[in-house]
Amino acid sequence: MSALSGIKVLELSESVSGEYCAKLLSDFGAEVIKLEKPGRGSPTRSLGPFASRGTEPERSGLFAYLNTGKSSIALDISSDAGTAALNKLLNYVDVVIDDHPAGWLKSVGLDPVTFQNHRPGLVLCSITAYGQSPPDDRIHAEDLNVFHSSGWGYHTPSGAGDSMPPLKGPGRFLPSYESGLEAAMCVVAALYERESSNRGQFIEISKQEVLASRVDYVLGQMVAGDMDVSTKRGAFDLFGPAGIFRCRDGYAYIWMSAPTHWDALGQLLGHPEWMKSFPDRWLERECTPERVAQVRHHIAEWLKTQDKHQAAADAQKLGLTLVAVNNATDLKASPQYAFRGFFAEVDHPILGMKLYPTAPYKLSATPAKIQSPAPLLGQHTEKLTALIDVNGKEHRS
Amino acid sequence: MIRPMRGGPLQGVRVVELTKVWAGPYTGKLLAFLGAEVIRVESLESLDVTRTYGVADINKAPGFQAVNPQKLSVQIDMKSKGGIALILDLLRKSDVVIENLRPGAVKRLGLGYETIKAAKPDIVFVSMGMHGSEGPLSYQTGYAPCFAALGGLSALVGYEGEPPAGMNVRYADSTYGTAAAYAAVVALMHRRRTGAGQFIDVSAVECMTSMIGDTLMDFALNGTVQTCNGNRHPDMAPHGTYPCREGEWISIAVASDHSWKALAEAMGRPELAQYSHFKTHSDRKAHETQLDRLVSEWTANRDAAELVSELQRRGIAAAKSQSSVDLISDPHLWAREFFLEVRDRDGQSRTIVGPSWKMSRGAAITDAAPRLGEHNAYVLGDILGLSVDEQQKLADAGVTR
Repeated sequence: MSALSGIKVLELSESVSGEYCAKLLSDFGAEVIKLEKPGRGSPTRSLGPFASRGTEPERSGLFAYLNTGKSSIALDISSDAGTAALNKLLNYVDVVIDDHPAGWLKSVGLDPVTFQNHRPGLVLCSITAYGQSPPDDRIHAEDLNVFHSSGWGYHTPSGAGDSMPPLKGPGRFLPSYESGLEAAMCVVAALYERESSNRGQFIEISKQEVLASRVDYVLGQMVAGDMDVSTKRGAFDLFGPAGIFRCRDGYAYIWMSAPTHWDALGQLLGHPEWMKSFPDRWLERECTPERVAQVRHHIAEWLKTQDKHQAAADAQKLGLTLVAVNNATDLKASPQYAFRGFFAEVDHPILGMKLYPTAPYKLSATPAKIQSPAPLLGQHTEKLTALIDVNGKEHRS
Repeated sequence: MIRPMRGGPLQGVRVVELTKVWAGPYTGKLLAFLGAEVIRVESLESLDVTRTYGVADINKAPGFQAVNPQKLSVQIDMKSKGGIALILDLLRKSDVVIENLRPGAVKRLGLGYETIKAAKPDIVFVSMGMHGSEGPLSYQTGYAPCFAALGGLSALVGYEGEPPAGMNVRYADSTYGTAAAYAAVVALMHRRRTGAGQFIDVSAVECMTSMIGDTLMDFALNGTVQTCNGNRHPDMAPHGTYPCREGEWISIAVASDHSWKALAEAMGRPELAQYSHFKTHSDRKAHETQLDRLVSEWTANRDAAELVSELQRRGIAAAKSQSSVDLISDPHLWAREFFLEVRDRDGQSRTIVGPSWKMSRGAAITDAAPRLGEHNAYVLGDILGLSVDEQQKLADAGVTR
């Protein structure tokens, strides 16, 4: 039995944040029922990466990743029969996850303000870009917009010139993954409380706030008046020679902030003459732009003759925080990921047996586990319809 | 001393932090925001550096205060045997312990999982390490940008055709802290239902990889190794940030032909939507450099905030790229009480960054970060049941202060 065994979740989500949230719950044994529109199914089925085999709507790697462990019921909830089936489903489940824009839940009969009158035990979680009451100029948002309204965008990358456009961050969906994780945490906390109170609740997640809260160390100082705010692109940055450098076989990242790092660099470079002119503890006390430029120049000259993984191993043994800038090939080959079993084989009927990324936490008694491949569209409609006909007739108290 | 009941789903849960800097404290902060009683065990001999950055007074360090609101602090010398015994006594009365000290440090202190489990069999033990607690690379250490580099994020952020530039240097610790908090809450749920605790081993690097899971699916399915590509997005065009007046930037994301048509109209050039170069999504992707140039030329002399309003009225996803000034003056964040007031022991108010969520029965968030050892009397007296004399003896012996 895993930690969430027996918990039933209805997923109304149709984008990455809610689908990821419910996937995280499924990893711990929750029974997740994904409601999809007949025909094309979830919009994430129409987003890549696509496999070369199979046909839509069953060849999206994005959908396959986000929906492991779930059942799919194809249901048109705008029809009368669909509405009746949705009501039965709502009677059957403990949790509902949604990520449609503000106002949508009410339109399908789940008013965040009043649903508890009828379904007091239900945990209802909504993920939106700006919360349930967005102002008029924040109605439409993609992840790019959330990333930029949160402050991360303007300050990414670190050290950018004023004329260079602020960037979107890694991949397509970082704001959604962050928000799905936050939502999963809140949902399980609410379920924990429900074990004794028998009461559900409404949880509202704002993606903008999830991302802005991730920079609390800086933003908290700014909003308290302890750190300068400005229109500077470097307002979140730290100073020093840290950065990404080219190697023979890719890139490495080096971090230097302490005397031990400087000493280790000296050992690696064979104590060259130029280092001797630097005062003790210069990194902490006399970190001038000229010194930083000089150090960066020499690190660049050295690293371009090195291989990233070997340079990292050598540096780490001496206490210098130098690491490889990994790409997908590196991650797949990582001995550490292999040791922890980060990639797991999942056998999907259309996509075949592939290695999927799993979760970053290992729980000794209730490990996160991919229960099954993502469902085909409507794969469980018949079975679930029969099940909720029996079990969804009356409100659970 | 009676602690106020603050509500929240984790009310009644006691968490002990053996943490430093940002990631571990962030885990504790989230649990505190969910209603848990979170106690930082601190030691003057081995202080969290964020208590000392930039200030002479360890009780006024701004970085520390930013990440540690709503927590308690007990000062116990972790280098003394008496101190370790006292911490084990505290753990006997606690539910969760979080540690993010250097690899192997808790074991050397005599506070490894096996030892704590012997004292408190149903403890939820959260261990946080750059690469997790075991494995061929677990000896390595690093700071947040190292996690992002190792986890595959940095390689994906940068301008097209240039070396990767990476996410902002501050990214990673808090995400890592959140994954640890989720795992802790899951373990609490299991414990409530079965009575069993467990060991949780969180890897910072894997937390980063979890933020780009779909790019690894591309590798699994097609062998594609994605690289940095500026602001390009396979499913949207235009998609990017565009310059506005006075050095400001607007982000615009167009996900459909319908939305592109609306943008062309906003630009006063509805005919653009009919050009063969821009008609469909694949047309726009094929001529994206040209498309971006047209949009940039149009935005360049506009006011960013006004332009956002105009595009939103037309149904287009747009937002200002907010600077730090924009963020702390964002009226929506204030209206939602994302920025909220708490008070310290002396009644001084302080603004903090609150949680991202609202709940029907959320915790009241009221307290500023603790002074070092502010709650010694509560922890030693109320929780551990030591008399005033016994507490004095510990203080005289230097075990507490």
